[in-house]
Amino acid sequence: MSADEAVFELRELSCYYGSFRAVRDISLSVPHNRITALIGPSGCGKSTLLRSLNRMNDLVDSARTEGQVLYHGVDLYAEDIDPVEVRRRIGMVFQKPNPFPKSIYDNVAFGPRVAGYSGDMDELVERSLRRAALWDEVTDSLRRPGTALSGGQQQRLCIARAIAVEPDVILMDEPCSSLDPIATLRIEELMHELKENYTIVIVTHNMQQAARASDITAFLTVDQDRAGYLVEMAPTQQLFTMPHNRLTEDYITGRFG
Amino acid sequence: MEQATGQGSGATTSEPEGESSSLRHAFEEEIQAARDDVLRLGAMVEAQIQRAGEAMMQRDVELADQVRWADAEVNALQQQINLTITSVIARQGPMARDVRELLAFYHAAAELERMGDYATNIAKLAQQLAAEPELPIFRQIPRMEELCREQLRAAMRALVDVSEEEARALCRRDDELDGLYNSVYEDAIALMQASPQRAQQATHMLFAAHHLERLGDRVTNIGEDVVFLATGRVEDLNP
Repeated sequence: MSADEAVFELRELSCYYGSFRAVRDISLSVPHNRITALIGPSGCGKSTLLRSLNRMNDLVDSARTEGQVLYHGVDLYAEDIDPVEVRRRIGMVFQKPNPFPKSIYDNVAFGPRVAGYSGDMDELVERSLRRAALWDEVTDSLRRPGTALSGGQQQRLCIARAIAVEPDVILMDEPCSSLDPIATLRIEELMHELKENYTIVIVTHNMQQAARASDITAFLTVDQDRAGYLVEMAPTQQLFTMPHNRLTEDYITGRFG
Repeated sequence: MEQATGQGSGATTSEPEGESSSLRHAFEEEIQAARDDVLRLGAMVEAQIQRAGEAMMQRDVELADQVRWADAEVNALQQQINLTITSVIARQGPMARDVRELLAFYHAAAELERMGDYATNIAKLAQQLAAEPELPIFRQIPRMEELCREQLRAAMRALVDVSEEEARALCRRDDELDGLYNSVYEDAIALMQASPQRAQQATHMLFAAHHLERLGDRVTNIGEDVVFLATGRVEDLNP
């Protein structure tokens, strides 16, 4: 699969919570093995959009979607699609590191065990921790609780946990917002390494982070009806130096309310 | 998805004041201060060119000396602009038009500083020429000097107005300077052939014309900065 091919193809996607429309008519494509950043003011629906990519919104009772999310050409919301399998292929890392109250080893092994993984678990745990750039720091303490790690290490543990089930896509919802600049840099470097093998979509409030770490940036904002919509999506380098849309320009240069 | 609304040359110079935060306002004041300093530098360099040209044609050694001393002020202002812009970039993390504008100012200041050096070189030549027994005969030099200043003023206007059209127009006008320089070159060769004892004078005048021609090229570089600022594109407008 080449980078030009889309992993996700969104067609006029709208997401509702009850009667409230959180995002409206979003059409975009997410390219393979690239980092796509979603930016925009609070309430513009970027987290909702992110969560729609692995049907995480299904867990909210009142949530429903209109339009289509095609994943490798397959409609993710079709009736015969198993949301659990969707979430295995499309992993998620959250704002606050949320390791299970288990050992480092078990945190990583949890997903594969649930999925009935029959290979060499030690090898899989090591490989996942190495890919998450955490192995060297925890190799002697795999039996210690994951919650005993520092914030940045916990977040890398969560990334290792996501990687362990061998997903295709990693969704990240403000993964660095609770981390210090050094831990943030490690995560950004890690994202850069991971994109060789994974497609990454990241929601971030930190525009410098989007500018530094992503390949493509989508800017969303809210209208009077409070539904978020896509204003502009472009290669990151272009969006931050020469945005096409005045709304993007005003947002990224800090000319907002 | 909407595309390309309201983004043209000069379209976003002023912003709705009431909506901006006070931090954003302070940031805009810093950009404005950098813009003002670049304009001030442009005016200083313009005066330097004018006085250097006058010193040459009037054989005024005193005036040439003043030009040479004043170059330190040009350099100091350029350094101050560099520090200001470096500090703004480090603290504000400017994006989009803001970063293009600051980079355009930074580069324009460097070009202006270099133009100041050319004016100083012409002042040095003026002092050497003043020692020659004959009056200078190259009447193209005052016209070149005048044209350089016109071009410099146009470049400063284009920079402030973010006028892509004005920038492109001034780059086209550089051809006239090139033509005048070629004519000085031919006259200098002819003079050296006809009167070998005036070869030194001819060479000095040729150098002066060369500095003015180069000065004109630096002005077109500022024109390119304006096009970059207006469009985000890097173009060679004086190939």
